[in-house]
Amino acid sequence: MSIAAAVLESLRAEAASHGGGRVARAGLRIGELSGVEPESLRFCLETLVAGSDLDPLAFDFEICPWTRRCRACGAVFRVVEWNPACSACGSADTEAAGGDQMELTYLELEEP
Amino acid sequence: MRVPLERKVLNENDRIAATLRERFQKHGVFCLNLISSPGSGKTSLLERTLEGFDAGRRIAVLTGDIQTDNDARRLEHFGFPVRQITTGGACHLDARMVERALEGWPVEELEILFLENVGNLVCPTSYDLGEEARAVLLSVTEGEDKPLKYPATFHHADLMVLNKIDLLPYVPFQAEVAKENARRVQPGIEIVDVSCTTGEGLDRWRAWLDRHL
Repeated sequence: MSIAAAVLESLRAEAASHGGGRVARAGLRIGELSGVEPESLRFCLETLVAGSDLDPLAFDFEICPWTRRCRACGAVFRVVEWNPACSACGSADTEAAGGDQMELTYLELEEP
Repeated sequence: MRVPLERKVLNENDRIAATLRERFQKHGVFCLNLISSPGSGKTSLLERTLEGFDAGRRIAVLTGDIQTDNDARRLEHFGFPVRQITTGGACHLDARMVERALEGWPVEELEILFLENVGNLVCPTSYDLGEEARAVLLSVTEGEDKPLKYPATFHHADLMVLNKIDLLPYVPFQAEVAKENARRVQPGIEIVDVSCTTGEGLDRWRAWLDRHL
């Protein structure tokens, strides 16, 4: 719920700095490793938006996979079944590459 | 009108965390964020840890709970400064709570600042508190698969403390499986086995702390 509140706070700040128009739609990028369950976040957002000055507001979710980068062959691969080994060359020498995103990606503003 | 953005949802938290981190680093304060489920033994680990420090050491604890100051009361009679953060409903600490709780404290003089997060394996993960390291506690009365069920938490941890190992003979918990699971999620994770009841392994935990000072 506090993450949903932070989303709305960011969204209000961005809308104000882009001319103050009403926000009709917002894009969110959520990584599989962010610790956020997208459906729970959506529920919290809808609950906070309902009946507020932001209502109606639609959200687009883009889910980012958990990825690692291979230090041996350079491949960036998706982690499947928690397996950290490179899916291209099999090397165990890999590092975190993505999946913890929690970002606002766009706003659709109506004319003020 | 479509406005493209690249804004982190928690950028306000991250901004405060960055100022805290800068402050800790500037003064050589090792700040550790302790995360676990409720009942894994964060407060017990801190009790044993504080008990083992000489009175002259400059150690402090901020302990977070949704309600009560019971943990602060458990910890304060070791003679080190302890403050309770009562979140009043929030299931995690955030950087602003830490910043406020530190007001008026001589943070600059500390060697170690422990941040005992609210007992929860999900929400604390998302909130940077300005810490230098994160430790996640797992106790042997839980499931070995917790690292797989809560990968975000283990993925962001530098250390896993496997607690209550004195109970291993009485529970079906397979310690090696739990460690293997943690290493799958976070290949670089360090692991120490401890029992806060018998004291076993606490020397390894203290050695880990010492390496960061």
